[in-house]
Amino acid sequence: MLEAITSGLAALLTPQAILFMFIGVVYGLVIGILPGLGGVVAMALLLPFTYGFETAATLALLLGAHIATIWGDSVTSILFSVPGSAKGLALCFDGYPMTKQGQATRALAASATGALMGGIIGAVFLALCIPLIRPVILALGPSEYLMMALWGLTVIATFSEGSLMKGLIASVLGVLVAFIGTDVVTATPRFTFGSEFLLDGISFPVAMIGLFAVSEMMKLAIKGTPIVDRAQVREDSTVWQGIRDALRHWWLVVRSSLLGLWIGVLPGVGASVAGLAAYAQAAQTSKTPERFGKGAVEGVIAPDATMGANEGGGLMPTLAFGIPGGESMALLLVAFIGLGVVPGPEMLTKNLDLVFSMVWIVVIANIVVTVIGLAICPALARLPTLHANLMVPIVLSVCFVGAYATRSRIEDVVVAFVFGLLGYLMDKYRYSRANFVIGMVLAVMIERNLHISLTLYGADFLMQRPIALAMLAFVLITAALPFIRHVRRRKRARIGGDAGTGAVL
Amino acid sequence: MSRRAQENVVIAVLAAVFVLVIVLCQDFGPRARMIPLPLAVFGLILAAIQAVWQNLRSTDELQMDLISIQERSLAAAVPESGKEGKGADRGTAFRQELGAFGIVAALLVLELALGPIPAVFLFTGGYFLLTRHYSVPAGLIYTAVFTAATYGLFFVVLEIQPYHGLLAPLIERFH
Repeated sequence: MLEAITSGLAALLTPQAILFMFIGVVYGLVIGILPGLGGVVAMALLLPFTYGFETAATLALLLGAHIATIWGDSVTSILFSVPGSAKGLALCFDGYPMTKQGQATRALAASATGALMGGIIGAVFLALCIPLIRPVILALGPSEYLMMALWGLTVIATFSEGSLMKGLIASVLGVLVAFIGTDVVTATPRFTFGSEFLLDGISFPVAMIGLFAVSEMMKLAIKGTPIVDRAQVREDSTVWQGIRDALRHWWLVVRSSLLGLWIGVLPGVGASVAGLAAYAQAAQTSKTPERFGKGAVEGVIAPDATMGANEGGGLMPTLAFGIPGGESMALLLVAFIGLGVVPGPEMLTKNLDLVFSMVWIVVIANIVVTVIGLAICPALARLPTLHANLMVPIVLSVCFVGAYATRSRIEDVVVAFVFGLLGYLMDKYRYSRANFVIGMVLAVMIERNLHISLTLYGADFLMQRPIALAMLAFVLITAALPFIRHVRRRKRARIGGDAGTGAVL
Repeated sequence: MSRRAQENVVIAVLAAVFVLVIVLCQDFGPRARMIPLPLAVFGLILAAIQAVWQNLRSTDELQMDLISIQERSLAAAVPESGKEGKGADRGTAFRQELGAFGIVAALLVLELALGPIPAVFLFTGGYFLLTRHYSVPAGLIYTAVFTAATYGLFFVVLEIQPYHGLLAPLIERFH
């Protein structure tokens, strides 16, 4: 095994592999920053250029680009509340408030360091767990996936401060919007009103461009001042603060990374769910959950660590069984076929050095991304100080072109416009946009796995799947936690109040 | 329109959406409506409770609802948007909102009519000129550079299929 580890690294030390890795990382950062385009697009566009080169160099190019898009996504989420893709959504919740408070450099640095730590933890666990993971994956089925999606919904309470009822209405609306299009189980067109375009459903990236980016630009146009007005808010945070934050919350990083690794291992769950789940666990386990959504640095670190580790996890089923953990891993499988590599149990015996090359790529690409990221953080943090008259036309234009670019369909621009108005109104009347998107992301997963569970195990599927039952108990406990905490706080506040009154009397 | 009236319009629209979903679900098979139908009913119940609740409370408490009203003492201050503004302020705010809506709608119309790249050029250039943020030559130069960068990135490097706009057939006829 030690030999495989060293030969895996040696394969990456050729000039071609180093050059490809660097090109991949820079390209991935640019693609990640563009709204609507993420790791999948980055890899898909690179695929035609991968034939005829060294295997390790090709994988360095593909994986390097894919890993770099993760932090690229985070940048626009933090600075402008514009998620580059579905993965970056969770970063908007606390990253953008930090930017508005003059903490952009700190948020970006914490995000980059969190992603690096998550990536390394993910890669190490990938290397350690490869022989152990097979029975675990085989033990889980659709019922367990259903419970995981339900767990993601428990974060709704976090975003409903002021009005839980409105928060719930927003998530119900989000779930219903996700059902627009052809039902994957019954092939029934739902809520399409005869439109051919709507048969494919509403694209998540486009909906998010509208809900967050377009509506934020509308607010900025009304305000007429920069996102961060230097006359009122000073950018006094530093890169070092962000690094220190990530290191200080090392236990959160470890927990989030393991969560990301775990979600990555599960085929078809996806990094967008991983980011939200990480945010949920960070908020639920925090001693001060009321800070979340208002600029808590933990809300930035946790999703990035999870997404960093998610890539390592996604590689596991792809390499060991040939089952892609997500869309990007499916593209990696296509690249494997082009390179003459057959994924499956033999990867762990005959091609172990290649497996370790990929583990090294994950580690090195994360380091390169973080070094570049930390170097450009202070410059990037200045972008939100640009005047609204410059920001509004440029960001709106890029958002609309990005919306068109997601599927090359002009109707997506109309969707971005409609969701922009919806996002503005939701924000104005305090219907949580975050809850809406959480409902939208998790709806399809919940419905699909519920249908499969009912078909496979019948109506009492929970009784037949003890792991799912245990997970349901866990979901209920974590859902109840915020309310229990709230009751405790009220009790404490009342006791404090009584004591205060007593002192006066 | 008062804040309460606006909130009532919003909740009425939401309730109408949930009713529409319930009606549309009747055409689906039992499996296809298994989740949307109960969810829409749940949404309608929530909307009804919210509607009743927000009309029973004072205007300052419009951000609150039946479940979260207990958190009032612990929650942060009521957001500014919840406070009733004076009539004149409300009028100005409404005009500004209409302006912002117009900006986004203008870009949409340009994209649909001319395609993304001419729309980006006209919209960005027009915005710079109308706001007088830059002088005319500087504004045009920045617009040209930004449009070229957008074109290069999306349509040359990423090879996105271009869209020529609804007016393309008309322009073709002149050619």
